[in-house]
Amino acid sequence: MNLTRRSVLTVTLLAMAALAAGPALAQGAVRVGSKIDTEGSLLGNIIIQTLEAGGIKTENRLQLGTTKIVRSALIAGEIDIYPEYTGNGAFFLADEKNPAWKNASAGYERVKALDAEKNKLVWLRPAPANNTWAIAVRSDVAQANKLATLDDLGRYVAGGGKLKLAASAEFVERPDALPAFQAAYGFKLRQDQLLTLAGGDTALTIKTAAEQTSGVNAAMAYGTDGPLAALKLVIMEDSKGVQPVYAPAPVVRADLLARQPKIATLLEPVFRSLDGATLQALNAQIALEGQDAKKVAERYLKSKGFIR
Amino acid sequence: MSGAPAAVAGRPAGAARPRRVRQRVLALLLVAALAAAAGLAFLTVAPNRLVTGTGVLLPALWAGAAGAEGAAWPAIWLMALLLPTAALVVAVWLPPSRAVHAAVVMAATALLTSFVALAGAGAAMRAGTLPEIARVSLGGGCWVLALLSWLAAGDALQRLRLPPARHLAAHAAVLLPVVLLLASGALDALSLLKEYENRQDVFHAAGWRHLQIVLTALLPALLIGVPLGVAAARQPRFAAPLFATLNLLQTVPSIALFGLMIAPLATLGEWLPGSGVRGIGLWPAVVALVIYALLPIVHGTAAGLQQVPAAVREAATGMGLTPRQCFWRVDVPLALPVLLAGLRLTSVQLVGLAVVAALIGAGGYGALVFQGLLSSALDLVLLGVLPVVALALAVDAGFTLLEAGLRRWRAEPAV
Repeated sequence: MNLTRRSVLTVTLLAMAALAAGPALAQGAVRVGSKIDTEGSLLGNIIIQTLEAGGIKTENRLQLGTTKIVRSALIAGEIDIYPEYTGNGAFFLADEKNPAWKNASAGYERVKALDAEKNKLVWLRPAPANNTWAIAVRSDVAQANKLATLDDLGRYVAGGGKLKLAASAEFVERPDALPAFQAAYGFKLRQDQLLTLAGGDTALTIKTAAEQTSGVNAAMAYGTDGPLAALKLVIMEDSKGVQPVYAPAPVVRADLLARQPKIATLLEPVFRSLDGATLQALNAQIALEGQDAKKVAERYLKSKGFIR
Repeated sequence: MSGAPAAVAGRPAGAARPRRVRQRVLALLLVAALAAAAGLAFLTVAPNRLVTGTGVLLPALWAGAAGAEGAAWPAIWLMALLLPTAALVVAVWLPPSRAVHAAVVMAATALLTSFVALAGAGAAMRAGTLPEIARVSLGGGCWVLALLSWLAAGDALQRLRLPPARHLAAHAAVLLPVVLLLASGALDALSLLKEYENRQDVFHAAGWRHLQIVLTALLPALLIGVPLGVAAARQPRFAAPLFATLNLLQTVPSIALFGLMIAPLATLGEWLPGSGVRGIGLWPAVVALVIYALLPIVHGTAAGLQQVPAAVREAATGMGLTPRQCFWRVDVPLALPVLLAGLRLTSVQLVGLAVVAALIGAGGYGALVFQGLLSSALDLVLLGVLPVVALALAVDAGFTLLEAGLRRWRAEPAV
């Protein structure tokens, strides 16, 4: 009896170990991560396919989780590379007050220097796009009231124009988001002009404005959101540059880059090709048409001749 | 179980009246179905996958079909819906018998199949006239009608009182036509199937991964939970703090648990190279699920052992059994049904809980659910949720068979 019980236990433990080890880990492969959102999976797939085409083995760790989890995973050495936005450096490195973040190249230089020093992470050259927080307005409202910039929007709201904004709690409360916009452009939204939605998901805020749920006609959005045009919303231009610049760039662990310097030269031209309009179009193929991010990335890289 | 004879008895005085409703459950389901057909959209049509669609009522499907495919469309589909419905209406007035119940199962199955097939055909017809990016989804009406048909079939099956294995086989046969429709491509115009087409690789990988997560969590949960349950049953002083701790762990949100585990598990992985321990992926997901699974397993084990009558145990001791023999030959067999019920609960719960594993990069069907939630694409959420529901039902059915087998085994005389 005792013997059988012990052998049952041994077999169970062995089976457990086999299950837990899972698929044999590709030793030495570059572990590519990304955030769980649409653009995260797009850029992650672009990185994987570019590296693979350049002869570098990769391990797919895409859509790992929220910003916090992916960043922790990179620092802990659980992944080697993932796409992050330059402007987020201000929060990662507790440097929110610095005006450098509002300038694309100064912000990049700053995050590159700080992260290399503090965390041994290397920020590769970012894409010339800005996925910053923005306010998008229904195009019928924008047309009727000639709204193109946040200056126009500020005047319109201050003059008693009808506006109701759908946004995340973070956007409404964080001092560098809506409060910064309001201070710079001279308007103030009352409580009844705001619809606060759970989570930071712009797909939901955009949908709310497009469908005019609860009288909403404006939405928190990101600069490179794909579905904006199809859902007939226009982004109000941040003419005074209130927001930090959020340019997407691959962030890689320094020790890995030292071993595989080719990673930087492979990714550089690809990210240079990803301007705001291109990212919007690619994001739309995923979010609006429901296509697989992997296929969208593959088609783009082929059309540009980055992979064959 | 004991309620069934009472329902048959009824009021003797009422039996004299003719035209009395004999099958109240079925009558109720039919009335609900009529309301759903008249009031809820059968399909919804949206210009793209993000926005909410406009509803199309069941009768309106015919109005749309008149131009496209001529007279054949209305006639065939009308028959497919009306014949089984008529059969069910007649059955409401018939006295219950095995033949009537069997007929109800078949009519309800036919109706379920017709609703699903009609949704596929209606979607194909609408989609043909719309741009590629437009989506036709199943409306609330279609879901409710299909669900009511399934309930009607299930209720009649229950009344047939088949032995467990045959009951499950019959239930599978009720759902088989829907599976065949899915496989045949007749439903491919529906938004749900378009999401599937776009993410086939992810979907198929998710299935195995989901099972792997559940099984990997279940084994350690059993290995830890059962001894703890035994200890709790034997030492009441130990039980109170144990259950307090387990209850507390149950309330920690999974996402918080994941965030907390990355660094310690990554460090552990560095200490134990080759062990496969990682701060992201399967490991943290499994650890979290084991923590959640402990409560029902420990509880089930302790409750099972506590309900073994003290007199039986005393008798066994009196017959000269050692404490160890008493445990294996008396306690375990008598506690097994309750223990198994706890295991069943835990397994079904784990299938559902494994969805959150996607938040730490462990994959599984949760990956589809969260991608859908984050891009507010409801049909992608459904594509992740439906297989989870199916898996949970399958696990539950598996335990039904296991418990039936156990009962048969126990009924045989001991050696």
